[in-house]
Amino acid sequence: MVDIYSLDFKRFVARATNDIFDTMLSLKINISDVSTETIIEKTRIVGSVGFAGEVMGCMNIHVGYTFAKVIAGAMLGEEPEAIEEEGILDVVGELSNMIGGDVKSRLCDAGMTCSLSIPTTTSGSDFTIETQGWVRHESLAIHSDQYVAIVEVYVKLNNSK
Amino acid sequence: MALKVLTVDDSKTIRMIVKKAFSPYDCELFEAENGIEGLSLASREKPDLIVLDITMPVMTGTEMLEKLKADPLLKGIPVIMLTAESGRDNVMQIVKMGVKDYMVKPFKGEQLIERIQKIFKLEEKSEGKEEVDTSKLYFSSDGDCMVLTLPAKISRPVSSDIEGHLGNQLKEMLDAGQRKFIMDLRKVAEINISLIKLILHVVQTCQKSNVTVRSVGTVTLSDGLKEFSETSDLTVETSIEAAKATF
Repeated sequence: MVDIYSLDFKRFVARATNDIFDTMLSLKINISDVSTETIIEKTRIVGSVGFAGEVMGCMNIHVGYTFAKVIAGAMLGEEPEAIEEEGILDVVGELSNMIGGDVKSRLCDAGMTCSLSIPTTTSGSDFTIETQGWVRHESLAIHSDQYVAIVEVYVKLNNSK
Repeated sequence: MALKVLTVDDSKTIRMIVKKAFSPYDCELFEAENGIEGLSLASREKPDLIVLDITMPVMTGTEMLEKLKADPLLKGIPVIMLTAESGRDNVMQIVKMGVKDYMVKPFKGEQLIERIQKIFKLEEKSEGKEEVDTSKLYFSSDGDCMVLTLPAKISRPVSSDIEGHLGNQLKEMLDAGQRKFIMDLRKVAEINISLIKLILHVVQTCQKSNVTVRSVGTVTLSDGLKEFSETSDLTVETSIEAAKATF
């Protein structure tokens, strides 16, 4: 089994995210590390999936509401303004499912068998998400035009397995 | 006869993508949100093909597939699995389950169709079936005026449909020697970008054809349109009669 510390989560996330934005959204993106200048619109949607098995963890994608509408429009081939709230949340959930699914696959390929949860979404303008007890945490910023999203991955070994 | 396709996915987004991918073809689409709904629809409709997601609440795609394969009436239906997980073990498991094919997300609608065309010959919708004339939903005559009545919500497909009919409708008007066009916005319940673009398109197309266009709508809508630079100068009358009086 590959050591959890040696896995390049940033590369996994970057490759999966690039693939999704290129294939399903036809949106050009740049990926960078998160810095103090990475600021997301206050009203945002967070799509999350969890991993459970030999490794435990979660993946969150934080998307500003305006960017989420643009993504939803691109994915559904509709004008962003024409998409209802439920549709926008569903698209962000599906985005987290696809990125998380790819990360989960890389974990399984490395011998760390785990299952993926169904995606959940959280939206609002005044909340924080704290994930504790992880041993690896990676985050990346996704830039498309003036918009920014952040993808975070948290993992730890499941010592009970 | 139209091919019956059942798409089972908890994500409405994916169901819409699948639906759009099949839209040029002579297919009848059925949608289910989970394995239980999927099984129920499969028993009732006997689809020719099932596009099945794996990870779903209530009943997963894997469980649904097991039940399908155990049912003598349903086990022969070809299944294409959709999965967000491309790992070796996952792919091996899918292949062993006896599915016709699988697709790893992300995917394009065209890629899904390519896979399906290896199983079925998809017939494109024939002209007669595809070209249902929707122009009568929107365009009507009122004396020497052509009236375009917009529905409550303008989505991109609706605006594309209307834009597609506009040229012919204007040609028919001009051939009949008419040059008065009324855009009736009274049913419109929501201002969105598609509506703004459509109004702009109608006004500009009429101007190019030397057709005089007038607009009718509610006071609320008129005020809302003033908020947009593209429609801020649009004069909106409150009734068809008032609009006619300005020609």
